[in-house]
Order: sequence, then structure tokens, then C-alpha cells
Amino acid sequence: MHCVRNITEDLYWVGGNDRRLALFENIHPIPRGVSYNSYLLLDEKTVLFDTVDWSICRQFLENIKGVLGDRNLDYMVINHMEPDHAACIEEIILRYPNIKVVCTEKAFLFMNQFGFCIQDNVIEVKEGDTVSFGKHNVVFVSAPMVHWPEAMVTYDTTNGVLFSADAFGSFGALDGKLFNDEVNFDRDWIDEARRYYTNIVGKYGPHVQSLLKKASSIDIKMICPLHGPVWHNDLGYFLDKYDKWSRYEPEEKGVMIVYGTMYGNTEASANDLATRLVKKGMTNVVMYDVSNTHVSYLISETFKYSHVVLASVTYNLNIYPPMLNYLMDMRALNLQKRTFSIIENGSWAPQSGKLMRELLSNMKEMTILDNEMSVSSSMKEEDGDLMDSLADSILESMK
Amino acid sequence: MFFKTTEQHENLRKKIREFAEEEVKPIAFLLDQENKFPSEAIKKLAAMGMMGLPYPKKYGGAGLDIISYAIAIEELSRVDGGTGVILSAHTSLGGYPIAAYGTEEQKNKYLVPLAKGEKIGAFGLTEENAGSDAGGTETTAVLEGDYYILNGEKIFITNAGEADIYIIFAVTTPNIGIRGISAFIVEKGWKGFIFGKHYDKMGIRSSVTGELIFNDVKVPKENLLGKEGEGFKIAMSTLDGGRIGIAAQALGIAQGAYEHALEYSKERIQFGKPICQQQIVAFKLADMATKLRAARMLIYSAAELKENHEYYSMEAAMAKQYTSDVCLEIVNDALQIFGGSGYMKGMEVERAYRDAKICTIYEGTNEIQRLVISSNIIGKMPKNDSVDKISKKQPATGYRKKVIFKEGTSKERVNALVEALKEDGYDFTVGIPLDTPISKAERVVSVGLGIGEKENMKLIEDLAVQAGAAIGSSRPVAETLKYVPLNRYVGMSGQKFKGNLYVACGISGAAQHLKGIKDASTIVAININPNAKIFKNADYGIVGDLMEILPLLTAALDNGEAKKEAPPMKKMKRAVPKKVAPTWKYHVCNGCGYEYNPGVGDPEGEVNTGTLFEKLPEEWTCPACGEEKDMFIEV
Repeated sequence: MHCVRNITEDLYWVGGNDRRLALFENIHPIPRGVSYNSYLLLDEKTVLFDTVDWSICRQFLENIKGVLGDRNLDYMVINHMEPDHAACIEEIILRYPNIKVVCTEKAFLFMNQFGFCIQDNVIEVKEGDTVSFGKHNVVFVSAPMVHWPEAMVTYDTTNGVLFSADAFGSFGALDGKLFNDEVNFDRDWIDEARRYYTNIVGKYGPHVQSLLKKASSIDIKMICPLHGPVWHNDLGYFLDKYDKWSRYEPEEKGVMIVYGTMYGNTEASANDLATRLVKKGMTNVVMYDVSNTHVSYLISETFKYSHVVLASVTYNLNIYPPMLNYLMDMRALNLQKRTFSIIENGSWAPQSGKLMRELLSNMKEMTILDNEMSVSSSMKEEDGDLMDSLADSILESMK
Repeated sequence: MFFKTTEQHENLRKKIREFAEEEVKPIAFLLDQENKFPSEAIKKLAAMGMMGLPYPKKYGGAGLDIISYAIAIEELSRVDGGTGVILSAHTSLGGYPIAAYGTEEQKNKYLVPLAKGEKIGAFGLTEENAGSDAGGTETTAVLEGDYYILNGEKIFITNAGEADIYIIFAVTTPNIGIRGISAFIVEKGWKGFIFGKHYDKMGIRSSVTGELIFNDVKVPKENLLGKEGEGFKIAMSTLDGGRIGIAAQALGIAQGAYEHALEYSKERIQFGKPICQQQIVAFKLADMATKLRAARMLIYSAAELKENHEYYSMEAAMAKQYTSDVCLEIVNDALQIFGGSGYMKGMEVERAYRDAKICTIYEGTNEIQRLVISSNIIGKMPKNDSVDKISKKQPATGYRKKVIFKEGTSKERVNALVEALKEDGYDFTVGIPLDTPISKAERVVSVGLGIGEKENMKLIEDLAVQAGAAIGSSRPVAETLKYVPLNRYVGMSGQKFKGNLYVACGISGAAQHLKGIKDASTIVAININPNAKIFKNADYGIVGDLMEILPLLTAALDNGEAKKEAPPMKKMKRAVPKKVAPTWKYHVCNGCGYEYNPGVGDPEGEVNTGTLFEKLPEEWTCPACGEEKDMFIEV
């Protein structure tokens, strides 16, 4: 039974949803599932834009068959070679042996590396190349390192549709909906969209900026990403988010407190600070236990807020391992331009403060506030003044 | 080719020799004894047109060749090495960078008065941590609007204080080593540009050598010499030429000593004949004359190469290294010929012996000369990481302002300190009990072994009262001297001070003590030893005798009223280092996202730290994925 949606009169969504997968890329939890979007254009020629993950291949093949009817499939444009979109290439070729695969040179190289047998059915394209499918003309725009090197996006100059590959995607199954205005994106989707972007593409801000620059020169009417809703209005909202994220600018003035606690004492200090901040008028405060929050959520929130407080115990004379993992991930994802405060705890040789400061100072454009709190095992009444000045220094830096 | 100077050269030599014999020789001993700068003689040299010999007449120079310039220095040095170096530093180091790299405006404004001798020039490259290795330069110049803000200290600067125009080298792009250095023209008298101590030297005592201190000196943008990042190149090419001057100086010193020895050996009779007729002395003189001739040829030929715009870097290094090395041998032999008489003050050979030594050291040590020569022969030696890495040692107490009050009388310096503290927000109308626990005290006046006798503790108590502080001490003062209870010493093993103001009196700054005060908002150091470690760990410092400074400070803090009870402590902000963002651009690879960081370079690809992306060789490829250089985009 095929299950598709019309996007325009001749363009169809033929993808599907996976709600069984626990970890996307076998690393990021996706409690709300994920959609793998593929698009089918019925012009004088029939054109498939990308495929889907192997897990939903059966549904996908039925969808294509359902839309094509008796027609054959002429072209398959592969914007992105990652297996969650490219896994079914061979399956398509087996069923439609005359199909021409359109992709970049590097994508073709990757197909061979992944073991897909396409032989000479390939048309290699590069930046600026155009193809006409009848009524629709498309132009290919390379999008290297968003977030793979072979990636390109395809722009339909006839109707302004941009097939944007992994750009503008989001975690989350679609639940029958397809368009951005069929969901309450700012309420229900932005957090997952941010978590997707920051963890998957976050490192490649400069490359995203380069793509956004190219995008600003064309008149985009609709964005068809490979995950999540299709955008057919209010594009500015999402483009603005992408611009902020890729420049590593925070979305909100607020304080994210991330604490690593063993017996609750460091957590108590973090609570004390949070309470002081709120009492002083900064109510945009969120707290996360680094041990039981998946790092993908921590990264996503860190991209969102302007200020971060790291509160960590000392463990084996080092930073608490989950905190260290979070910081290493932050560095790997190239996060910049945040303001940090540090609380360390230790019962005999507190080290985590100094070490966290060192790690942060090796990242780009990070401000580390001078006031620092060193807790000896547990915070005492007399530490209140120091914590208060720590809170003040955070508020001062927000001005 | 005929290895002989021209008639004009020899006429010039005669003229300068006459001047030196008449104007400098009579006062040379006095200048040496009194460490005195020959201002009058320099003025006369200017009037003779000797202060800009190799520069074009258009810019106020004499338009003569480099040999003429070398002869001038040689002849002055023949009589007094110090006077020789004044001319050399002025002409080669002060004038050359402007002549070679200056804009037309800069030449008209600065080279003309230098070449005419109306003003004196100097050159500031050497620093405490940047001698042979200019990569250690710590003086910074940060562009703010139309000005570069210059901060730092230069040491061992010839003509310091006497010169009006200084070529100063400072870091404009941090963390990339020598490629981040730029050159600036700085004028004496600009706000924040002061002179430190005048060194008491072994020789060349008629020349002045001192420290230059730059404290937020505003240098107009247009005083940048060349482009940003060209500083090292400018310095090196300047020193290439300067080496001819120093070689000529060494030649002159040796020539003078040799002539004196020759003359003396003809007069001094032992064993019934002049000692020059003793073969051992005769042969010495023969060797001296030979070395002099070889050295002179080396110098003049390097000068000719430079004059004819041919490559002369190696030859200048050879001339400087060889001449200064043989100069030491010649002055040694000359003094030996004089025997005990030569060892006496007032003897020219005695002065020459002392003057000579500096020539193997400055304008590039002779070890560096050999490095220049050998790399010309062998090629550049591969650099290893440890050499290229710029060490960034932090003081034990973290970043500190390190403002040392040096200007004025003790009273003025104390007042400047009190003003600075008040500016930082310290209120000296309030105070805390002297016995407040150290860990709870907002302020502590702490005493070290420098206090001496126990009766001097009265000074500390008086100061603590007026500073509104509790009393603390270093470990030995509590443990050994027992001037204060054991629970009042500050340090890693003792009490930790977490308050605002810490005044360390007579504390040298042992590591264990510093660990106890690293959280202090402000550290003030008072110590008689200017090199005490505490000064590198303090925000403010006064070098001076406690017996003098403490009463002055106590008086300056005294408002005539009893101190009011201090409100609960508010932790004050510490000084934060000015963040110097790197001015270089990062580039990322379109093939894999690898980021090229000039601060790191590409060790695997043998690209040194500090290499800008544009300077990478064309054949360089991404170390992560192998894409070509043109696949990179600027961040």
C-alpha cells in the first residue's frame, strides 16, 4: 500500500518514517523517530530525488510504484550519499535498469566505496550544471561539507523548489503531516531541528555560511530537505536559525547550567546558583545533569543559550568523565562565542576548574568569567558570598 | 681590480681622524670614567655632515658610499669605541630602516633630521625574553582606530634616552612567532614612553645603553614601517647593514690598540733593546697587522657589495664575526705588549680591551653570525617543534597587571600606588581588625623576611591599620622568626587569602607562598629587589626599602580619622588580560572540513607554526583528505 503526499501538482513526497530506530547514526537518541524524505517529479521525464534508509525501503518502493503507475523511472538525482538516503540506490537500479544516476564526481566515488554497482548509468555534474526534464529545469549547486564533501543541492528554476539534502532537516517522524505549517514548528519541532543541525552539521558553520550565501542569490519558494517537514512558507524563520547556528551566535540570552555530580553536592551548588540567578531577575535558566542527559541534547542547548555554567566534580584528578565528554564534543563541533562560568568541586585536590578553563580557552572566542567557585566537598553557608558574586559576574557579562 | 680605497676615502679618513684626535681623544678617559655621553662631539659630527654619510643628499645625507661610512666609524672607534657605536647605531639602526622601508612622508619627517644629525636614532628589538630569538618578542602593538597601542619593554638599547627617533619592533599578530612582528617609528616624549635604567657597562661607556618602557603609547597608524608582519624582515636586513658598522667599530678599536702597542714596543727597552726587536713581540705585531688587514678587506668588500646592491648578508656576517673575534685577540696582545702599564686605568689599551668585548655580542652574537654564514652555505636547518613553539608561561598567581611605579621620588611613587588602588575601588576610610582570620579578611598586609628586626613590625602594624587590613606573613616569618602566630602565615600549606587586597612587604614570592594568594583580586608588592619573583605576580609594585616605603604608604593612606567598620566583603574584579584576537584567517577544506590554523601550521606537512594560509606552498594539500589548496574556503 503506497502512502505519499503531493507537494506541487507534479512533485510527490515518496519517503517514509522510522519510529523503531533508537539511535540515529547509532549515536543520537531519536525518541520521536525520524523521516527519510525522497521526492518524485513527474515531468516529461520522471525524476527521483535521493532515496531512503534501508529500514523503510519496502514502503519506499511501493510509494514510487504507486506514483509512477505504468511510467518508467528515467533519472535519479543523488544529492547526498550518506546511507540513510542512499541505501536503496541499488534496489532502484535493479527495478529500473535504464535509469540515469545524476550526482557529483565524489558521490560517484562514494557509491563505489559503499559497493553499489551502477556501472555506466551515471551522469556526473558539477556546480552550475543544468538539466531539463521537460517543463522543469534544474541547476546543481555544490554544498561541500554540509555535512559531507560530495553533497550538492538541486534547485528547480521552474518552480523555485530547492532539494536541500541534509540542510534544513530535523529529527522527528512526520506523523502524516508534511508541511511546516501543518505542525507548530516553533513549539514542537525547533528543539529537534536544532539538535539535528548542531550535532550533525554543527562543526561546518563556515560551509553552511557559504551555502547560505549562494542561496541568498536565488529565489527559493520551497525547501525539500531529506528529513523533517517541507518548508513552503515562512522560510525566513528557518533561514535565520541556520544563519545564527552556523555563525555560532546564541539564539537567546540565558544561562544553561550543566553539572556533573556524584552524591548531589555539586548539584546543590548548581541549584544555589540557579536560584540566585532567578532571584536576581534572570529567569531564563535551564539545568542539566551531565550524567543522565544525552550529550546531543547538551550540545543543542549550548548552541541555544548565550551563557553556560559548568559545575564539575574532580574525578581521578581530572574532569568528571561525562563532563569531559561533553566538552570534547563541544570542541569537536566547533562551538564558539559563549560565555562560561566555572564551579569545581573536590574533596582533596580540586582540579576540574583549572582543567575546564584550559579546555575552554583552547576553543574559539570563548569568554571565561574570572569569578570561579571552588567547592570543598559541599557548599557551605559562608560560600554564599562567593556564589553571589559569581551570579553577579554572570549578570554583569549579560549587559 | 685594485684593493685600495680611493683618494676621497682617504681624505675623509684624514678629516675624521683629525676630529677624533682633537675632539674625542682628550676627553675619552673622562667619558669612560664618568659614563658620559659625548653630546658636544656628536653635535660637531653633525655639523661636519657625518651623521648621515650613506644617505642621499635629497634626504639630508652626504650621499657617500658605505665604505666612507665604515671608515668614519673605524676612525672614531680607533680613539673611542663608545663614540663609534653611537654613530653606528644612529646611522645603521636608526636611519636605515626608514631609508629602506619608509614611505616618502616618513623619510621626509624622520630620515631627513636623522641624516642631518639634528636628531639621533636608535633601534629597539632586544627584550628580556627575545635576544637572539626575536620570536620571543613580547612587546605588543594593538591597532585601535588610528593608533597602535604599544606596550612592553626593550632592554640593552644603544642611544636610549639620547635618541629622538626609535625603530621599535612589536607583535601585531600574536602566537605566530616572527611573522607576527611589525616595525614602528616612535618618538621620544610621547606619552607613556619612558626610559628605564641606564646600564653601568664594562666598556663603550661613553655610549649610553638603557631600557625603553612602553605603557599604552599611542603610535599613529602612519608610523607603521613597511607592512604589518614585515618587522622581522626589516630587523634582519637592518642588522645585516648594522654588522658592517660594528665590524668597523671592532676594526677601529683593534687598530687603535695595535698602533699604541707598536709605538710602545719601539720605546720600551728591555735586555738592552726595544722590545719590538724581540722576536716574540715582533711576531705578535706581525700577526696583529695581518689580522687587521684581513678584517679590513672583509669589511670593505661587504660594504662594496652593499653599495652595489648585491647580496651581502653572509659577507657582512663574516666581516662582523671575524673582525670582532680578532679584535679581542689584538687588544689582548696589545695589552700584553704594554705589560703592567697597560693594565692601568687611563691607558688606551686598557679601555680598548674592555670596549672590544661587546663587538662579539651585539648586533647579533658571533654565534648568530655563524648561524647566518652556515645557513648561507648549507641552507636553512630544519626547525624542530620545541624551537618554534612560543612558550606562554603564566605567573603562579594568574594574570596580573604588573604595573611597577618607577617614576619620581619614593613619595610620588607611593602616591601613584594609592591613587591606582582608589581608582580600582578601594575605600581606605574603612577597615577590619588586625586579627581577622586570613581566609575571611578582605585585605591583608603581609610581611616577609625583608622586614628584618622585630621592632620593624611596628611599621607593618601601622600600615595594616591605615590600609584597613589584617596582618599576615610568609612562612618563615611565622615559623622561624615567630613575629606572628603560626596560623597567620599565608601559602599553600598555610592560610589561603581569598579577599581583595594583598600587600606583600618584603616577600620575595616563593612558589608555595604565591599559591596561597592566587585568588587575591589585587596584589601589591613592595620589595628592595627589583628581580624578586613577587613583582611578576603583582598588580602593582614599588621597588624600594621597606623602612622608607612603608611609613610613606602608611601616611598616604591615613585620612586622619579612625577607620570605620568595613561592610561585608564584596569580592572585587581581578585584572583580566586584554584579549588579543588573532588577526589571521582560518581556512576550511571543502573535502573534509579540516581547518587550517596558522597558529598550529601543519607539522606533518612540514609547515611551521605561524605560516599564513596564503604563504602555504602551492603544492601543499589537505593533510586530512588530500584535496588541493584551492579547495579551501576562508572562514
